[in-house]
Amino acid sequence: MEKITSPYKWGMVIDLDRCTGCGACVVACQAENNVAICAKKEINEGRNMHWLRIERFWVGEYPDVRGRFLPVLCQHCHDAPCEPVCPVYASYHNPDGLNGQVYNRCVGTRYCGNNCPYAVRVFNFYDHEHAWPKPLDNQLSPDITVRSRGVMEKCTFCIQRIRRAKEEAKGEGRLIRDGEVQPACAQTCPSEALVFGNMADPASRAARLARSPRRFRLLEHLGTHPSVYYLKGGGREHV
Amino acid sequence: MSEHTIHPKSASRMNDEMLSSLKPPTLRWYGLAFLLGAVVAWGIYAFSYMVTTDMSCTGLDRPVMWGVFIVNFVFWIGLSHSGTMVSAILRLSQANWRRPILRAAEAMTVFTVAVGGLFPLIHLGRNWVFFYLIPYPNQRGLWPNFRSPLLWDAMAITTYIIGSSLFLYLGMLPDLAVARDRAHGWRLKLYTVLAMGWRGTAREWVVYQQASTLMAALIIPVAVSVHSIVAWDFAVTVVPGWHSTIFPPYFVIGAIHSGVAAVITLMIVIRKAFHLEEYLTPLHFDNMGKLQLVITLLWSYAYFVEVQTTWYAHEPIEWEVYSFMAHKYTFILLLMLFGNSILPIIVLCFKRLRRSIPVMLAITLLINVGMFIERFLIIVPSLSHKNMPFVWGTYFPSWVELSITAGAFAGFALMYTLFAKTFPMVAMTDVHEYESQKALMLLGRTRVPSLVGKE
Amino acid sequence: MELLGIFKDVGSAASAVECLLREGFVEAQITSLTLVPYPDGVLVKTNQRTLFRWFTLACGIIGAGVGFILAAGTAWVYPVQTGDKPIIAFYPTGIVTYELTMLFFMVGTVVGMFLEMKLPNRAHRPYDAAITEGCIGISLSIHPGGEPVACEPGALPTECIGGIALLPAAEQKERAEEIMNDAGALRITTEVQP
Repeated sequence: MEKITSPYKWGMVIDLDRCTGCGACVVACQAENNVAICAKKEINEGRNMHWLRIERFWVGEYPDVRGRFLPVLCQHCHDAPCEPVCPVYASYHNPDGLNGQVYNRCVGTRYCGNNCPYAVRVFNFYDHEHAWPKPLDNQLSPDITVRSRGVMEKCTFCIQRIRRAKEEAKGEGRLIRDGEVQPACAQTCPSEALVFGNMADPASRAARLARSPRRFRLLEHLGTHPSVYYLKGGGREHV
Repeated sequence: MSEHTIHPKSASRMNDEMLSSLKPPTLRWYGLAFLLGAVVAWGIYAFSYMVTTDMSCTGLDRPVMWGVFIVNFVFWIGLSHSGTMVSAILRLSQANWRRPILRAAEAMTVFTVAVGGLFPLIHLGRNWVFFYLIPYPNQRGLWPNFRSPLLWDAMAITTYIIGSSLFLYLGMLPDLAVARDRAHGWRLKLYTVLAMGWRGTAREWVVYQQASTLMAALIIPVAVSVHSIVAWDFAVTVVPGWHSTIFPPYFVIGAIHSGVAAVITLMIVIRKAFHLEEYLTPLHFDNMGKLQLVITLLWSYAYFVEVQTTWYAHEPIEWEVYSFMAHKYTFILLLMLFGNSILPIIVLCFKRLRRSIPVMLAITLLINVGMFIERFLIIVPSLSHKNMPFVWGTYFPSWVELSITAGAFAGFALMYTLFAKTFPMVAMTDVHEYESQKALMLLGRTRVPSLVGKE
Repeated sequence: MELLGIFKDVGSAASAVECLLREGFVEAQITSLTLVPYPDGVLVKTNQRTLFRWFTLACGIIGAGVGFILAAGTAWVYPVQTGDKPIIAFYPTGIVTYELTMLFFMVGTVVGMFLEMKLPNRAHRPYDAAITEGCIGISLSIHPGGEPVACEPGALPTECIGGIALLPAAEQKERAEEIMNDAGALRITTEVQP
């Protein structure tokens, strides 16, 4: 048994004061990751497949009401409750600090989904494998599988992009440069509310932002140690 | 001397009566078996429908990813508890009234744990790759994760099903010899193989009695561990309402609560069906009723403790789960409290009611309805209102889940019925032993029964 | 050769055993076949000591080893990090070890019991269906006869067959049958073991 170490600890910073709730990240995620397109019925039933959702809250009393938005994706916890409960190692921790999800291994106990306090794991209740009518199937990314029914899936921080960047960097004999790799959501965000980077590198933009006094993490009291930091200014708005 | 020895004729007659369940089945029995078989077939149809289409036919969603299947799992594993526990505890404490009850209780354990053990497999999203959960070397490079409570479940249930089957078989060994000596045809072959050539020599009895005692002592800690592990499935998570240290003992008590009730229900059914009124007397119901009363009090205490600590701490996320449960499921919550706690405590205090068969039937059925609800109320409200209010949801079981549940009940009844037709349903040897030890002794002006036997 | 007498009740069976002992047969040759267990000495005296619990214990220890290897050993050779839990985690290993220990204990108990009983036995031994109907069977295994069986050093007095072994088997059998009949045997069956 040898300890595998990595120079990367991927993480993200989400500036809530910048988020406009436009939803571009949700669409980008959907397009990048072959996330199944769900009909109204599925969404009504609570079986939508979004890996990233934007929670909207109304804050304040009329007429002083303000909409606040909270993009929630897999928090890639270092002490992830979803991982040890999986009986088949479908959910595991990779050396880069990511919560891996191995679709082929998943038998669908849905235990991870229950134990995820952020409720970011989505389960294929429907058979989505053939959910892309021609010619929509041409938009499917060849880098990732289309998940079959009965399998749990979730945000991977666009691991296929990280892999590609790693390979390129390895070919050139260097580490991935800050900003070189971004998940689809961060890439798309028009207000740059989402910043992705290597938290192990204290000089990276994400790591610098994560040291902001405005930072907090979701459900911090549970001790899950998420890799996703949120930034929010003080003031009357509270989310 | 002659008064406390068995008269051959009386032993023979007792065998006749106790083996009456093995008589050729009547038309009514076939009717019952067919009916149960039909319900099982419907359950299997519902399951195959779910497997061949997808899981959207269940009521499950995000966040309620576990529903009636897991309720069933906990319920059936709970039922399985008392069978063996009660039997083992009564054996060890040498309670003589236990004797006619043993077999019914032990058989119940084996079949309920068999039914319960199926549910974790039924509920899988990809049932067809269930063998990924089994630790065996394979070319896929897969190995299960023993840090997952589901693997502990798998280990515990395997141990328990093997252990309780052996316990049932061990208790039945001399009875199988009795059945063998009276059987013809295929039954003769079956009992000859299973009786292993038992003759009842003095040496065989010495070894047998020691083995029975040892087995009873071994099965109790296993039973406790099995339901503790089922409780850990919930208690080790970070789900509000589940993450509670009292869960393992509370689940064990709940399991015994429903199990004792089920043993009493089955005693009533067997008594009626096989005309065993002479062997299952009001005394047995009285004693089981007392046991049930104790367990009811324990359960009520555990429930009170669990709710009151949460109420006092008033931690908002946890309290949300409880208030959601009380608002959304008010009726079944009250039904559970009434049927599981209030009514049994009142009724079981009275000797006359404990000795009344219809009252006991009603009470024990109500307890098990209550316990099914209890499991539902543990699992579903916690998942419905987890930490993130944006993804709160609700759950209502679909026809598929209800059909499979009905199939499970019918499947248990069918297995039990088939067992009762194939194997002796009363622990005959234990009853005979008691009869052989009983003697009437002159004490003062009257003769009172006394017992001879080992200290 | 084994002789089996069927008696109606404990009283007559016990008196038959006493007469057999008086004749010179020994406890080790006589056993009772009964529907229910009787305290030692009511009919016959048998060795009360058993060894199968040592077998059970051995199985339990093996089970503990198997459980530990299954939980801790396999995790060590197949290390996958999950949720910041140690690869060889204390509680899960303990739980799996415990369950397998208990499993092996229970299987060991039943297997050990059958080994100690020497069951299943395929040899045809004298038996009567009346025993399970409440009659008492007294079984006597008869020495082939013709020579005295010397007591081996360390043997209990009840184990060595004395003068009665001098007689030919047929005569031993005759005497035993007579005693059993006098004591009120319902019937007597014999089985010659090959």
